[in-house]
Amino acid sequence: MAQKKISIRIDGELVGATEGMTILEAAEGAGKEIPTLCHMDGLTAVGACRLCVVEVAGIGRLLPACTTPAQDGMSVTTVSAQLTRYRRMVIELLLVERNHVCSVCVSNGHCELQSLAKSLGVSSVRYPYNYPRLPVDLSHTRFVLDHNRCVLCTRCVRVCAEVEGAHVWEVTNRGIKCRITSEMNQPWGSASSCTNCGKCVQSCPTGALIEKGFAVEEMTKRHENISALALAKGARP
Amino acid sequence: MTRILDINAFSEVRERGLAKLVPARARIAVGMGTCGRGNGAEGLYHAFAEQIDRGGADVSLASVGCLGPCSEEPLVSVRLPGRPLVILHRVQSSDVTRILHDVATGNVTPDLAYCKIEEWDHITSHIKYGAAWPELRNWDEVPFFRGQKKIVTRNCGFVDPDDLEEYMAVGGYQALYKVLIEGHPEAVIEQIKASKLRGRGGAGYLTGNKWEFLSKNKASQKYIICNADEGDPGAYMNRNEIESDPHSLIEGMIIGAYVMGATEGIVYVRAEYPLAVHRLERAIEQAREYGILGENILGRGFQFDISMVEGAGAFVCGEETALIASLEGMAGRPRPRPPFPAQKGLWGKPTNINNVETWYNIAPIVTKGAAWFTETGSTKSAGTKVFSLVGKVTNSGLVELPLGTPLKTLVYDIGEGGIAGKAIKAVQTGGPSGGCIPHEMFDTTVDYESLAQIGSIMGSGGMVVMDEDNCMVDVARFFIEFTHSESCGKCVPCRVGLDKALKILNSFTQGVATHEHFEVLEDLGRMIRDCSLCGLGQSAPNPVLTALRHFRHEFEDHIVARRCRAGVCEELVLSPCENSCPLHMNIPRFLQLYKEGKLDEAYESVVIDNPLPASTGRVCQHPCDNRCRRQTLDEAVNMRDVHRLIADSVFASDRYEELNARVVARRFQPSGRKIAVAGAGPAGLTAAYYLAMLGHDVTVYESKAEAGGMLRYVLPEYRLPKDVLRKEIQLIERMGVKFVFDTRVGFDLPLHELDDRYDAVFLSFGTWKESWVYLAGTELKGVWPALPFLEAVARQEEILLGRKVAIIGGGNAAIDSARTALRMGAEALIVYRRERKDMPAIEEETLAAEDEGAKILFLAAPHRIIGTPDGHVKALEVVKTKLGEYDSSGRRKPVPTGEIQRYECDSVILAVGEAVDMDLLQASGLKISEQKTIEIDRYSMETSRPRFFAGGDVVSGASNLSNAMGYGKKAARNIDERLMGVRRWAKLFPEFEYAQEAPVQPSESRRHHPSQLPAHERVKGVEEVVIGLTPEEAHEEACRCLRCDVKAVGGR
Amino acid sequence: MNRLKLATVWLDGCSGCHMSLLDIDAAIIDVAGKADLVYGPLVDAQEFPEGVDVTLVEGAVSSQEDLKKLQKIRSRTRTLVALGDCAVTSNVSAMRNGLPVQKMLQSIYIEGVSAAKGVPTDGVPALLPQARPVREFVKVDLYLPGCPPPAKAILGVLGDLLAGRKPDSSAKLKFG
Repeated sequence: MAQKKISIRIDGELVGATEGMTILEAAEGAGKEIPTLCHMDGLTAVGACRLCVVEVAGIGRLLPACTTPAQDGMSVTTVSAQLTRYRRMVIELLLVERNHVCSVCVSNGHCELQSLAKSLGVSSVRYPYNYPRLPVDLSHTRFVLDHNRCVLCTRCVRVCAEVEGAHVWEVTNRGIKCRITSEMNQPWGSASSCTNCGKCVQSCPTGALIEKGFAVEEMTKRHENISALALAKGARP
Repeated sequence: MTRILDINAFSEVRERGLAKLVPARARIAVGMGTCGRGNGAEGLYHAFAEQIDRGGADVSLASVGCLGPCSEEPLVSVRLPGRPLVILHRVQSSDVTRILHDVATGNVTPDLAYCKIEEWDHITSHIKYGAAWPELRNWDEVPFFRGQKKIVTRNCGFVDPDDLEEYMAVGGYQALYKVLIEGHPEAVIEQIKASKLRGRGGAGYLTGNKWEFLSKNKASQKYIICNADEGDPGAYMNRNEIESDPHSLIEGMIIGAYVMGATEGIVYVRAEYPLAVHRLERAIEQAREYGILGENILGRGFQFDISMVEGAGAFVCGEETALIASLEGMAGRPRPRPPFPAQKGLWGKPTNINNVETWYNIAPIVTKGAAWFTETGSTKSAGTKVFSLVGKVTNSGLVELPLGTPLKTLVYDIGEGGIAGKAIKAVQTGGPSGGCIPHEMFDTTVDYESLAQIGSIMGSGGMVVMDEDNCMVDVARFFIEFTHSESCGKCVPCRVGLDKALKILNSFTQGVATHEHFEVLEDLGRMIRDCSLCGLGQSAPNPVLTALRHFRHEFEDHIVARRCRAGVCEELVLSPCENSCPLHMNIPRFLQLYKEGKLDEAYESVVIDNPLPASTGRVCQHPCDNRCRRQTLDEAVNMRDVHRLIADSVFASDRYEELNARVVARRFQPSGRKIAVAGAGPAGLTAAYYLAMLGHDVTVYESKAEAGGMLRYVLPEYRLPKDVLRKEIQLIERMGVKFVFDTRVGFDLPLHELDDRYDAVFLSFGTWKESWVYLAGTELKGVWPALPFLEAVARQEEILLGRKVAIIGGGNAAIDSARTALRMGAEALIVYRRERKDMPAIEEETLAAEDEGAKILFLAAPHRIIGTPDGHVKALEVVKTKLGEYDSSGRRKPVPTGEIQRYECDSVILAVGEAVDMDLLQASGLKISEQKTIEIDRYSMETSRPRFFAGGDVVSGASNLSNAMGYGKKAARNIDERLMGVRRWAKLFPEFEYAQEAPVQPSESRRHHPSQLPAHERVKGVEEVVIGLTPEEAHEEACRCLRCDVKAVGGR
Repeated sequence: MNRLKLATVWLDGCSGCHMSLLDIDAAIIDVAGKADLVYGPLVDAQEFPEGVDVTLVEGAVSSQEDLKKLQKIRSRTRTLVALGDCAVTSNVSAMRNGLPVQKMLQSIYIEGVSAAKGVPTDGVPALLPQARPVREFVKVDLYLPGCPPPAKAILGVLGDLLAGRKPDSSAKLKFG
């Protein structure tokens, strides 16, 4: 099916896109980088982390680039003082929500939250830290779920449902009490629907889902492979 | 059972309904909404049923919904054939017999009558009940109903919600029938568009446009949803609408389904509304039975049905995409739009969602047309809106008003202002998603645009009124706590942002936040508003952002002065009485010590907190009374008279010397610092007392010959014997304070001299300048300003008042003047331009003056004073006033009517307020405020001149004794801290041993009022008229205290 | 030109940040040429002096003593730099924060050892309920996160401060 070509302006630059693309896709197609965290190519966009908010001319509020369709003639601003301030605040809020102790984290150096903090220039946090006491689920033979590092991006939930089709993960509770949970709140090790495929671990942007047997800084993830798989499968509805 | 398949059947059902609604015999209907039931309507209904049954009365009994005035429940409407419908209010089961008796004799019970309704516009029909009983108010003459326009709630309280036939009797389902017969869905959409109806859920999107969008979608399966997930704290419009008139909702939805081409309708209603759920369920069943829902509706071949889903109570499910998720059996979490529900909604099918109230507007618009609808409301916001007016307002309830009505109409006219005359501070519109609007902005009209402009929203229609007892920081914290616990947790700004905002607000209410937090909180608020995924997060910061904008000073009070003026924030308040006392006396402590029989300690406790306990015990305005929690049981504890008795008892005993010596012994080592105090009034004396106690060398300069200020020179002897005052000032002298009399600071003693000689100066020279009124005849002999008059009397100068005296004003000076005049053998008439409840004078004083024979003429302003040819007062002419618009203080402005009345009199006393002497102010060379007072820093009390502090009336304008002393006390603390560089204040106050437990069974006795001399004896002389409490009475008062100062068992 | 008064302080941290400071190698000679190190674990001074230009604070605030020290430092320092993750975020020091102090001490000194059980009390300051970052107690002028911050970054900031420039640390640093 031939798709209609459209053109939009991103930060003043005219960019070609296809109808049905999101602003994020259009921007990426043009080599422009918009920071994202919950987004992962191939999975349904949920617009949850709000890092990718952009300004669209003529619209009074900010819109997430990952879920907003690009429309012909649209003029989008992806970088501004306000956007940077807000994006920094998102990172600050995530850093205080849980216990992100980078120096002892197996994902240190390979963590998306960490690198976003760096690229957005977050050098400290203005809010009081929560320091919640959170469990670590070691019940799975190969993997670990460490709630201390979770940012609730729900990539694991989506990849498991949309690509693997196993529906092991869900989000339980609400608000600040939200937690990722496996199979009706069973320890991951006893989740009979889990196929041990590890897609969730590979999708996780931080050290929340990790493989056993790695020391600090050793855990690297391969999201690209998962994305490629997801795109090939056409998981995204 | 009739299935309505043609017009004849339709008319037949309607006739049957009319026979029930307006029967040829008496009909009694009990208001049985949730609010009525909560007030005993069920018992009432059964009492009626039983007695009608037993007595065989020819009365039809019905249960109906609610008319709206919740504070008047239970409501019963009584109607005799051919007569008006009469609404009885606050009906008890014990009233049933006489109501039935009256009905049997062709009467309605007049003492229970709230109002009558002679005819009623149901919009879809018009019912004439009949005219009679001119002595009863018509419904639109009742303040609560005045200005209301009932479109949405047109049937609420009239029809039996469980009876479809009664709904049809008032024109129900006619609009639907019309739409089905005409068969032009596009025309209906055009009509809805032309009506400019906007979604009543809060966002205000144009309903017609939304409908058109869905109707153009050609999908084979479409849904319509009614959003009845009303979850705002303080809002219950939708509940009452469904409980009182469920068929209007069904009719609106069927019309919507027909024109949009939907085949299935769903009502998503809160499970917390069991009565609404029950009634709607019954209504849906009935509609199916009558052929109004299901297949072949009204015989016109259209098929549609409605099902109901009960929500589990998550606030976020009011958001349409979360609601859809919930309907699909998933967790109620919103998703980003687009796609909009009209593109991809329930089960992925095109879906329209409207709020309950939006659906209620459909049948009226279809019946009367768009043009009729736009007649009501403002240009951009047509029609009416139902509001739940709740909180600290006299008349609470459900109010339906044209959009564009000013807030002050809602609060002051319909709500009739604050409860028990308390001042209203703000209104929160739109619940936790809205903002607070300060009373100064009550001119704002209630419509989508105006509210959005000032940072609030209309929301679904909650209006929570807040008065001086509400802390705005705590209110903001409360709403954030609500949205924080209701956030679904999906997006970061709302999930974590609200958590942080709540923590920061908690630090404000605990008084531990810093100035940096203002910026952090505002930044965070804006970020949550701009970046959140759904409406919950986007609107959640509104309460904080508006509170920061309009009530920033309250936030500052909490962290700079660690003070919560409303007395709400527990960490900052000892007890409501202490918090309201300008001197912050530890009132529960002296009450408890007195109760335990420790008079010595009780006196020490009083005098360490207040150097003039006997004077304040007599003449204080006692703000503590207004806050006392004992009021919720009966009346406030008489704290003022207890501390008067404590002081009087010690003054009269041989313990006086020793106890004062103990207090003086608390004096700190000499600090070597010298401080000057200008003015020996209450503020100056208090400051001097504490500064001396802190070890400083204090000199008080006073322009008059004796200390005491207004207490000495203005307050009449009969209120405050001068010997009492002198005795109190002795203690201040013993503390080491030096007095220099007959010296006017700024004139006899220039400020620069004080600069050279003292380390700090406290200016507190009072308001001695009488405000003058522009009035013809003030130059006549016999015209006195109140203060010089009272001062002359206090100096025992010879004054000829004559036989009749007119006093202009309503404050304490007016009352003092009147009572003084009475004692001089004159007749006294007080002329006041507002009503009694607006009088600033102490209420007991006003009543005592009247007892003694003073007359008060309310609603009258002076017009001119007429003189004799020899230049003496002959008469006063006043112009009658009437109450006009509400001003920003929440009082109605007196407006002259032009009606002139004349009073013969020999003297006129002008008691219209006092001001600071401008000469004195100019001589001070300090920065002067717009109010012609000395400007100081709100917290440090420093003036524009270094080391010069000011307080009392010279800063606040004419106020009262305790306020002035409060300034003095605070000044002493601040001056000491500034001079010494450390906080030594707390060390002044000793610990006392007394029981720290709340009484399990507080004394049940009522408040004791101090005995007074009989009025006829009082006016004969100048003896003190209030004799005070007896020790036994004082002891009982102490036992009445609930000990709010005792925190939770075990302490924190 | 006036020589800069430089101080360093070590609160609840591992001293790794100080190690990193020493890692600036030969450049320390340049620094020493322009600044006097007036206080710190590397200097033998008992009392924190008045009028310090720059203080590098390593570690979180974990005890009453840390807090008192920090407040004094703040009142006597012009530019206060939070050095390293512990000072900036509380980092590893905060890993105890989920446990009440008594319970934590109990599990370490009584349950966690086989001999000489007992919570030390002599000569150790009372712990605060939680270890918290420096900025929650005093104003911080500059943040230098990292566990530890790379020597180059420290040198960059010191170089800027010594030269009287406003240092910019935001672009080059990371946590961990």
